[in-house]
Amino acid sequence: MENFAHRRRRDLMIATALAALAALVPLVVKDVNVQNIMVLTLMYAALSQSWNILSGYCGQISLGHALYFGLGAYTTTLLFTKFGVLPWFGMVAGGTISAAIALALGYPTFRLRGHYFVIATIVIAEIGLLLFHNWDWAGAALGIDVPVRSDSWAKFQFTRSKLPYYYFALVFCCVAWLVTWRLENSKWGYWWRAVKDNPDAAESLGVVVFNSKMGAAAISAFMTAIGGAFYAQYVSYIDPESVMTFQFSLLMALPAVLGGIGTLWGPVLGAVILIPLTELTRNYLGGSGRGVDLILYGAVIVLISLARPEGLVGLFSRRPASKGVPQ
Amino acid sequence: MTAPLLETRGVWQRFGGLVANSDVSISVGAGEIVGLIGPNGAGKSTLFNLIAGVLPPTQGSIWFNGEDVTRLPAAERCRRGIARTFQVVKSFETMTVIDNVIVGALIRTTVMREARAKAHEVLEFCGLGARVDVLASQLIPSEKRRLEVARALATEPKLLLLDECLTGLTPLEAQSGVALVRKVRETGVTVLMVEHVMEIVMPLVDRAIVLNLGKVLVEGKPTDVVRDPEVISAYLGDRHAVGA
Repeated sequence: MENFAHRRRRDLMIATALAALAALVPLVVKDVNVQNIMVLTLMYAALSQSWNILSGYCGQISLGHALYFGLGAYTTTLLFTKFGVLPWFGMVAGGTISAAIALALGYPTFRLRGHYFVIATIVIAEIGLLLFHNWDWAGAALGIDVPVRSDSWAKFQFTRSKLPYYYFALVFCCVAWLVTWRLENSKWGYWWRAVKDNPDAAESLGVVVFNSKMGAAAISAFMTAIGGAFYAQYVSYIDPESVMTFQFSLLMALPAVLGGIGTLWGPVLGAVILIPLTELTRNYLGGSGRGVDLILYGAVIVLISLARPEGLVGLFSRRPASKGVPQ
Repeated sequence: MTAPLLETRGVWQRFGGLVANSDVSISVGAGEIVGLIGPNGAGKSTLFNLIAGVLPPTQGSIWFNGEDVTRLPAAERCRRGIARTFQVVKSFETMTVIDNVIVGALIRTTVMREARAKAHEVLEFCGLGARVDVLASQLIPSEKRRLEVARALATEPKLLLLDECLTGLTPLEAQSGVALVRKVRETGVTVLMVEHVMEIVMPLVDRAIVLNLGKVLVEGKPTDVVRDPEVISAYLGDRHAVGA
């Protein structure tokens, strides 16, 4: 039992040290392109951590998280440009709307076994994309510009420096990690893993399977929408293609899959490797290399599933290979 | 006699044209070990699943602890005090042994420290104390059976349903399994066990209920039940019953 408490404390200490380190990096690294990659890495780490709650821990694979990401981006931006609501409130509104939609989507699909849920997530995300493409009030295919006037924390926009965005992304990433850390050792965390491994057995032990899935979906969607809201502020222009396409759904899933699905450190580890790789290939190859990053993901995933199906965290496995003799 | 802990009243279960249980009324008193036996296809597993709440019966009602639980889902029945194991073990394979049991313990407390302590206690009781940090997928079959029992006990049940938990074990393993079931009863838990192999259950149970073709055939003391001509004929065919 001591062992367990010790492990959790060590995780927390490592995370604190890493966060402190990450906070110092921009003091040394002044290159804006590199800073941009760092911001995106942190953001995707947090997004993947959010995805991991529903799909990794609870086992309900979603390939439609782009919908929640886009809803977060659109809600914040629309509230700000049409009604002058500050992005901070927009973020919470976007999160709430996304959580509500996740629940509405889960209500019919979580009762079904098999692959219905994952198919439904893809379809609903595509419907969302089409709706926003054609919704004139929301800018339709042209998108919406966020009017940027001056640096302001209230409006969460900065023209001269990327640092405020960087620190927000860092906090976002830390919060996502902490939420996971906290949930991992809670009734919810245990229920989710039980549901993922064997819903029948879980039900027989008093786990309300349906509610567990709904809870995971709502938390996951809420956090993802926060990421979308942040992204909209960061790039200060959104259109359906830039915030709601299938590629975002993949980009949220892949770091967790690469790093270790259903693990605390998987998403962070995966994002640190995958996102710089993506951005760099894009920078080097430019428009002519469209899709090369996707080929890379494919290769990485194939390699990982052959060599380390449990993800890269398996390399740091803290559990000694338990080959103890059965009594 | 006090009211029974578990009672099925005229339970029917039809799967399309197939009648798996017809008008089954059984009762289990608090503190008993009752064996539910019968040949293949007798409807044991169906009745078992009806009691555990996997599916509602087509007709009839199920009473537990003085309450009608016929329409309650499995999770709610677990909360009321019915726990079960599975014939084909259903461990949480990616979780450690202790984590498997914590899932069960969390129904009675949401304080993780307490759930963990409870899980340790139950695993000690079930003889898995040395295997707490092992992944469930690495257990050998007899240990997985014990894990099923431990997980169920962690929910602090009044009634424990054991589905063929002694089948397919070596004689030695089965013996220690029998000892475990006795130990469970000593803690005040009532046990209803489905078993296929008569020689294992008969010495263990206080009372045996024999199902055949979806109906209760005979019910009584194990020694009487095994000599009953109807039981012999159900198991071995009519020819053998003649001499009895």
